[in-house]
Amino acid sequence: MAIALNEVRLLIEAALPGAQVEVVDETGTSDHLKATVTAAQFEGLSRIDQHRMVKKACQARFDDGSIHALSISTMTPDG
Amino acid sequence: MAEPELKDKVEELIKDNEVLLFMKGTPEQPRCGFSMRVVGVLDSMGVEYAALDVLPALEPLREATGEIADWRTFPQLYVKGNLLGGCDIVEEMADSGELAEMLGGEAPSDTPAPNGAPQSAKQELQQDGPHQSPPMQIENS
Repeated sequence: MAIALNEVRLLIEAALPGAQVEVVDETGTSDHLKATVTAAQFEGLSRIDQHRMVKKACQARFDDGSIHALSISTMTPDG
Repeated sequence: MAEPELKDKVEELIKDNEVLLFMKGTPEQPRCGFSMRVVGVLDSMGVEYAALDVLPALEPLREATGEIADWRTFPQLYVKGNLLGGCDIVEEMADSGELAEMLGGEAPSDTPAPNGAPQSAKQELQQDGPHQSPPMQIENS
């Protein structure tokens, strides 16, 4: 198992306090993950900046190869 | 650190091509599912775009785009000099209609781009067919 889904969730939650985070394993191999993140911090940011924040939170796990692909979906709490 | 020459070249490409896709493989022969999906979106919209195959120089290009746009995974779609996003963002914006507005509702260059650009403009683009610009190559020196 490449990485615990829970660990990715915690990394994102630590970077974005108060965010609602869901991480699922898209392939059953634990290295192609999908994160759905709802955070007030995204307010007013472009999508790419929202994604940058999520990616940055998990960067170390990309760098060490634990995560091969992370698909990201971002939202603000008020839609 | 990215090689300065390659970084300059990449910045030049981003500046010179209004719609530029960094992808794995070519539009005709994508070598990655995510790249293929972005090509599918652009082709289905009839958007004219330039495509660069990153595979011949994958790691140097990761470094270069990391420094230029703080983004190291491919595909990457640049529109008017700015990174729009990868597969997720492109598909999301295609579904919501934002991408058609951005790519299809071109304003003349001497006026500011309208926020609610008409979607009908994309039909004009479709006459010419997709991705006319030939795929480009960067030599991995």
